[in-house]
Amino acid sequence: MRLFFKNKKITSVLSILPENVVLFEDEMENYNFSVNQSLKLKSVMGYNKKRVVTDGVTSSDLCILGLEYLFKEGVINKAEIDAIVFVSQSPDYIMPPTSNVIQGKLQLKDDIICLDINQGCAGYIVGLIQSFMLLEQSAINKVVLLNADVLSPKVSKKDRNSNPLIGDGASVTIVEKASDESNIYCSIKMNGVGAFSLHIPAGGAKMPTSEETAILIEDSHGNLRSKNHLVMKGDEVFNFVQAEVPGIINDVLEYSKLHKDEVDYYLFHQPNKFMLSKLADKIGVDRAKMPANIVENFGNASGATIPINITFNIADKIKESSLKVCFSGFGVGLTWGAVIMDLNKNTYIQTINYN
Amino acid sequence: MEHFKQKLVDIFEVSNISESDVIKDFDSWDSLTLLSLIAVVDAEYNIQINASLFEEIITIGDLLQYISKNSK
Repeated sequence: MRLFFKNKKITSVLSILPENVVLFEDEMENYNFSVNQSLKLKSVMGYNKKRVVTDGVTSSDLCILGLEYLFKEGVINKAEIDAIVFVSQSPDYIMPPTSNVIQGKLQLKDDIICLDINQGCAGYIVGLIQSFMLLEQSAINKVVLLNADVLSPKVSKKDRNSNPLIGDGASVTIVEKASDESNIYCSIKMNGVGAFSLHIPAGGAKMPTSEETAILIEDSHGNLRSKNHLVMKGDEVFNFVQAEVPGIINDVLEYSKLHKDEVDYYLFHQPNKFMLSKLADKIGVDRAKMPANIVENFGNASGATIPINITFNIADKIKESSLKVCFSGFGVGLTWGAVIMDLNKNTYIQTINYN
Repeated sequence: MEHFKQKLVDIFEVSNISESDVIKDFDSWDSLTLLSLIAVVDAEYNIQINASLFEEIITIGDLLQYISKNSK
C-alpha cells in the first residue's frame, strides 16, 4: 500500500540505551555449539556487544528517562505533546496501555491521544505512518513517537538463533507539522500467513503462561527454549527479507520518482550484518550508504533499531546538511515497509544511557 | 592467496588445506560454514557468491579458480 504525506517533519530523534553491555563471548558457553562454530557465527552475523537492561527495567522506564531528558534540554515541553504513539512488543502490562501509563507518570495534559501499537521490526515505519496520520488533524501539532523494546527477558539464553542478537533499547522521535513542502513517500505491506515466523507462543489468551510453558525444550538444532520464549525461524525470516524487501524499496523509489543514488542513506532495521549486506547487494545500493553496524554495537532492539541507526550513524552528518533518507523495517507480522523523506539539517539527534 | 588460505583453514577447522580438498567433504561443512565461506570471499575479494554455486564449485581449487576469474 502506497501512502503519501506532506508538511510534516521529524525534528528530534533520541536513543535511550541501557548502560549494561553484554559481550557475545560472555554467553557463548550457553550455546550448543563448539567454540569454533560460535566464533564463526559471531563473525558472519556481526555479533559483538549488545545492550541489555538490568532486571526489572521495562520499556516505559527507558521512554520516561528519554522524555524527561528532552524536557530538561528544552527540546519539547509537556504542553506541546498532543499525542503519544508507543510501539512495542514488550509493553509494561497487557492492560492498561503503556502510553497511558507514561502520560500519567509525566503528568501530561489530558487533551491528548495515547496509543499503543503492537509491532516489532517494522515498528518505526508503522509508528511514523501513524504519527503522520494523526498530524493530519488540526488539533494535533506534535506527536511523540516512542519505540521501545525490552525483549532480552523473553529470549532463552540457550538459543543461539536469537539470544546473540537481541538487545534492549528505546527511542523518542518528535514528529510535527512543517511549513515546508517536502514530500513523504511510504510503501507498506503485511502478510499474516507468516505471522508465526517470529513469535512468543505463551503469555496471551491462546496459551496463558503456566508451569508447563516454562519448561525448556530442545529443538532440532540443539537450541533450548520454553513456550514463554521468543522463537525466530531464522531461515524463514531470511528468505522473507530477501524476497520482499528489495521489492518494497523499488516501489517506494518509483513512487517518489527518485533514483536510488539520489537517496543519501538507507537506514534499515538491523537484523544482522550478513542479511543487510546481502540486501544492499540485491537492491543495488552501495553498502556505505546502508549502515549495518547496530547489531555489533548495541544488538537488535526490534522497532528501535532504525532510530538507533539514525543516532549512531548520521548524528554528525546532519549538522552539515539535510539528508534524503530511506527507512525500512521488516519482520514481525509479517510486516515490511519503507519511508522516503528528508531529515533537515540540524535535526536534534542524541543518544543517552539508562543506568 | 596465502592469507586467504589461512582464512579457509580457520573456517573449515583443519590444520592445512590443499586445492584437491572437496569442500563438502570437510567434517565442519554445514550451513554456518557455507555462510562463513560466502562472507569471507565477499570480505576479501568483493565477490558475491550464491549458495547454489557450490553445486559447481566442488574443490578448494575450483573455489580459488572462481575467485581469480571473477576478481574485480
